[in-house]
Amino acid sequence: MSEEFEPKIIAFCCNWCSYAGADLAGVSRLQYPPNIRIIRVMCSGMVHPNLVIEALTKGIDGVIMCGCHPGDCHYIEGNLKAESRAEAIELMLEDFGLEEERFRLEWISASEGPQFAQVMKEMVDTIKELGPSPY
Amino acid sequence: MATVAEEWLNICGGCEVAILDLGEKLLDVLPSLEFVHMPVLMDHKYFGQTGEKSELEIPEADVGMISGGIRNEKEKHVAEEMRKKCKTLIALGSCACFGGIPALANMYTLDDIYEKVYRDSKTTESADTPSKDIPPLTDRVYAVDEVVNVDVHIPGCPMNPVIILEALTCLLEGKPFELPERSVCDDCPTKREEKSDVGLKRPLQDAEFTPGEYNTMRCFNEQGILCLGPVTRSGCGKQYNGNGEVVPRCVKGYMPCRGCFGPIREGANPLIDMMTALSSIGLDAKLVEDRRALLNRYIGGQNRLRPLPAKAGR
Ligand code: SF4
Ligand code: SF4
Ligand code: SF4
Ligand code: FES
Repeated sequence: MSEEFEPKIIAFCCNWCSYAGADLAGVSRLQYPPNIRIIRVMCSGMVHPNLVIEALTKGIDGVIMCGCHPGDCHYIEGNLKAESRAEAIELMLEDFGLEEERFRLEWISASEGPQFAQVMKEMVDTIKELGPSPY
Repeated sequence: MATVAEEWLNICGGCEVAILDLGEKLLDVLPSLEFVHMPVLMDHKYFGQTGEKSELEIPEADVGMISGGIRNEKEKHVAEEMRKKCKTLIALGSCACFGGIPALANMYTLDDIYEKVYRDSKTTESADTPSKDIPPLTDRVYAVDEVVNVDVHIPGCPMNPVIILEALTCLLEGKPFELPERSVCDDCPTKREEKSDVGLKRPLQDAEFTPGEYNTMRCFNEQGILCLGPVTRSGCGKQYNGNGEVVPRCVKGYMPCRGCFGPIREGANPLIDMMTALSSIGLDAKLVEDRRALLNRYIGGQNRLRPLPAKAGR
């Protein structure tokens, strides 16, 4: 196998902050690896753990969940819900024999284009090092 | 008159007891049923009564019922023969529907199980894995519908006889039968406040209740006692002709639901849903001991339980 491993990574981005952050990264022409597939959701609080685990057991190598900073959620406390779900997701990674690095929760605001690009780069590097999902 | 064939595969026998538990209701349907094959009750041999035939044979039947999942090649063969001979095939009980308790073994590879049972266990004299004159085990425990097509699923460990009767009546009248997609909680009379302030208790700690008063008893999960009601299909408390108050069977005995009726809908994953439910009422899922097994206690078939994959890149 001479080809380099190109992971598939899903980023769930909330409409109000993180997706706008991604947009800003785009219009500012910031480079980040093409391994990221963004899925726009209305709020990070609506990303059910089912979606994360299902992705990781059906061909995706990493999932990153992005929401507004605490206190900034458009729906007031969706991101707090996301945070408590993230704890449950981390336990489930264990139950499914997945490495904890395959899932990450990040707060990214609409003005943080460079941070968005940076986080995505980091995530891709981590997963490249880890190798493909065992499923 | 409809002909019925019944088979038991990887079972404990409880499901057959549940059929007999129909009691007098069985007498009502018996005139319209003719049992042509049922190893638990009648002497009907697979290879002819004197062993004169060379092929396994089960008589043709309108309705086939299989209890138990599939653990060895013989059971697989019998399941295939049942499918061939029965017009409608019912999977009876949680073992047949989802693998049941025996499918907890799916957390380990067959080799690990052999090692443990025949060699590693401290109380066992070490021996070779037996292989002579017995059917080889399949690589894991299968639910019946992983091996042959199943028309009707009747879950439960064991099932509620009321549901067997309903299903048989539907089939005799040529109507389809399916359990509704409802959860055990939907049928549960306990009091709910949607949050828990006590933290998770140890599994054997008693719940607080006044005998006979289900309406004033606080929901088990909210009392800190793990209850799988939110992620389990309802039906266990059903009574004949919809008579009487419906109380889930375990709740009726002041015990939490352990999930024997399986997922509420096809494709749902109770482990994931339950972990989410726990975090949303404020219980710490970390404290659930032996989480993977406990939340898959009856449903380890259909790939829900499997040996954990070796972690990549380490
Ligand atoms: S479902 Fe339960 S009662 Fe029926 S055979 Fe399996 S273990 Fe026994
Ligand atoms: S969690 Fe258990 S006790 Fe609570 S409502 Fe559901 S079935 Fe009833
Ligand atoms: S309450 Fe749950 S474990 Fe008990 S019989 Fe009903 S479905 Fe099965
Ligand atoms: S809207 Fe951004 S996290 Fe809720």
